[in-house]
Amino acid sequence: MTQHVLEQKLTRQEQQALRNRRTGLAIFQLSWIMTFVCLIIVNFTMRGGSPTWPPEGVTVGKIIPTLMTLALIGSSVFIRRGTKALKADNIAGFTTNWRYGLALGGLFAVVMAIEFIRAPGSGQFLNVYRLMIGFHHVHAMAIGYYLIRVYQNGRRGVYSATDFWPVEGGTSLWDFVTVAWVLFYVVLYII
Amino acid sequence: MASITVPGGLAEGEIRKLERPKLRIADYLRWSVDHKIIGVQYMVTALFFFIIGGTLAMMIRWELLTPNLDVVQTGSQFNTLFSVHALVMIFLWIIPMFAGFGNFLVPLMLGAKDMAFPWLNAFAFWLIPPAGLLLLGSMLVGAPEGGWTMYPPLSTIYSGDGQTLAALAAHLLGISSILGAINFIVTIKNMRPEGMGWWQMPLFCWAILATSIIVVMATPFLAGALTLLILDRVGGTSFFDATKGGDPQLWQNVFWFYSHPAVYIMVLPGMGILSEVLSIHARKPIFGYKMIALSSLGIAIIGFTVWAHHMFTSLAPQLRIPFMITSMIIAVPTGIKIFSWLGTLWGGKIRLNSAMLFGLGFLSMFVIGGISGVMLAAVPFDIHVHDTYFVVSHLHFVLFGGSVFTIYAGIYHWYPKITGRMLNERWGKVHFWLTYPAFFFTFFPMHIAGMLGMPRRVAIYLPEFQGINTIISISGFVLGISTFVLLINMIVSLRNGKIAGANPWRALTLEWATTSPPPATNFVDDPVPFVDPYGYGSQGSQEYLDAVDRRFGVGEEVFTPRPAPTPAPSGD
Repeated sequence: MTQHVLEQKLTRQEQQALRNRRTGLAIFQLSWIMTFVCLIIVNFTMRGGSPTWPPEGVTVGKIIPTLMTLALIGSSVFIRRGTKALKADNIAGFTTNWRYGLALGGLFAVVMAIEFIRAPGSGQFLNVYRLMIGFHHVHAMAIGYYLIRVYQNGRRGVYSATDFWPVEGGTSLWDFVTVAWVLFYVVLYII
Repeated sequence: MASITVPGGLAEGEIRKLERPKLRIADYLRWSVDHKIIGVQYMVTALFFFIIGGTLAMMIRWELLTPNLDVVQTGSQFNTLFSVHALVMIFLWIIPMFAGFGNFLVPLMLGAKDMAFPWLNAFAFWLIPPAGLLLLGSMLVGAPEGGWTMYPPLSTIYSGDGQTLAALAAHLLGISSILGAINFIVTIKNMRPEGMGWWQMPLFCWAILATSIIVVMATPFLAGALTLLILDRVGGTSFFDATKGGDPQLWQNVFWFYSHPAVYIMVLPGMGILSEVLSIHARKPIFGYKMIALSSLGIAIIGFTVWAHHMFTSLAPQLRIPFMITSMIIAVPTGIKIFSWLGTLWGGKIRLNSAMLFGLGFLSMFVIGGISGVMLAAVPFDIHVHDTYFVVSHLHFVLFGGSVFTIYAGIYHWYPKITGRMLNERWGKVHFWLTYPAFFFTFFPMHIAGMLGMPRRVAIYLPEFQGINTIISISGFVLGISTFVLLINMIVSLRNGKIAGANPWRALTLEWATTSPPPATNFVDDPVPFVDPYGYGSQGSQEYLDAVDRRFGVGEEVFTPRPAPTPAPSGD
């Protein structure tokens, strides 16, 4: 049975509530991504005021952040696949995919925390580097914690093909974490 | 002709008295998810902070009665006075007051039972009292001296710990605004009733929608900027410290990217109120409905392209002209609104009650603020009057002559719906005739003082400016006193005001198609909106309004319009 047909089984009020939540979360994501854009502007401003960026003598390793970015993207893919499985009433598929997704997300969080601590350079470069990684990390940790709670509930069978909002909402939030990081990754390591 | 359906979905002619809610004061002091209670909580809280901010303004004007220090002992104390005055008036008075109107009215105007996210709505409100306490407490722990613009290094090196509290307060208030705005957008997009398309939506809802779009897109920039400021103050960073490779202009750019659009956050809802008030009390269809609605969105979009006009004196010269042009362009959608309102009034059966008087007061004073805004958009003039009292005058013409006048108009207009009682009209007119000239003589002479070179944000000034400052201060005191006429009227009318009835103004928007105050679920059944929310003067509208009166009854004071005028072209 397709998801669209399943959602038709919801009452009018439930459909309205689902529509409101989806719209509200989308607007929140559109809004909150602007704080990340703000920090990107801060990065460019500091860059513009510095003769070289990164400063001479400072080398930023790219291999580990690139691998971690791939891990985060992979995490989002697994989480999304798990959510799709839940909506098809496949609880086993949900838990398996989310387990992989959470593991990859956890790996990203741990390694990037180490990157934060071992950040290279000094002065404004270090300030901005840590600011961006740290700001993103706070979001990754908070939303990651929420995903773990949802996963635990999902394993206990709390969610189903017609009762899935915490799963869908958590998935969207994790996508937000991924998109925000990809923006930061491009700014911090590519350009 | 419009088809007539009785609001509430009951058979025409059926009269059923809805039980009026019996709310106690305690209901407004605790957590509630009812949008009407939250709306009143916003408004009462905002009025409380208006008194605080007004008291600080009176102290500022008292200090400026003479060229020397009188009320304060140091310049730092004066800096604190105007900093907290501005922060309170912007973040704790005007913005929450409009949020209060929005909360109370938007679901009612849309025929909805509540906002899309009632719990989030309550949470957004309850961030405000602690933020207010933080802001007021900032005065006690070390002066915040950065003004409301909080420019570094004033807000970093030269301010006490209070500046950190003020920044935290602004952070909380910003989060509150974002959550509230998301709620408004979702409610307006998803919860309109059948029969109410986008172009049948009341213009107040359009204004709240445009405002909310600005809030969700711009306020995160303030959050980002405040995070950096707080880190600079307590986290050991130096983003804004030029001696350590930081950039003070970074703050100015990011701050104004939020704060210029924030000016429209503080004005657009007032423009929405005005559209309702003018049409209803002129008994005429609004002129140029679509243009007013679209110009709100136009202002919201163009508002993001003008921020650097606040930095003309420090901006790279090659960027001045582009920002001058965009700053002047934004006058176009504002002008569209002004002419549309004038077109609405033209030939109308104008009832000069308190709401209409303040509406007309807005039109005259806001135009002055708008014109001085265009003057300030011109680079040569701006450089001449930069950081003078001319700027103080301009912003008060926009924010008091604009925002506060419409708040007053909104209070006189919707107080009957909120409380079920009419405000005393005689005292309303006393309030207006005290406020209007006092406002003018407080703020208009500041143009002259500014052009003569009196700088803003100073406690000590040249003796030659004392005459003009005396006029300003005395007028300011009258303006301050005039506020209490409204406040006392509001308190006394709660008990002694005439019973309002459901629709004392015979208005067509849905909030009037239910009891005053509305029941807990707003409407008994799914309400049916009239086909045109501003279709005054038509046979169909008369029948619709008569049906509302028959169903809900009329109050002690009924506005009986004179014979309907020939409907003027709507301009669409």
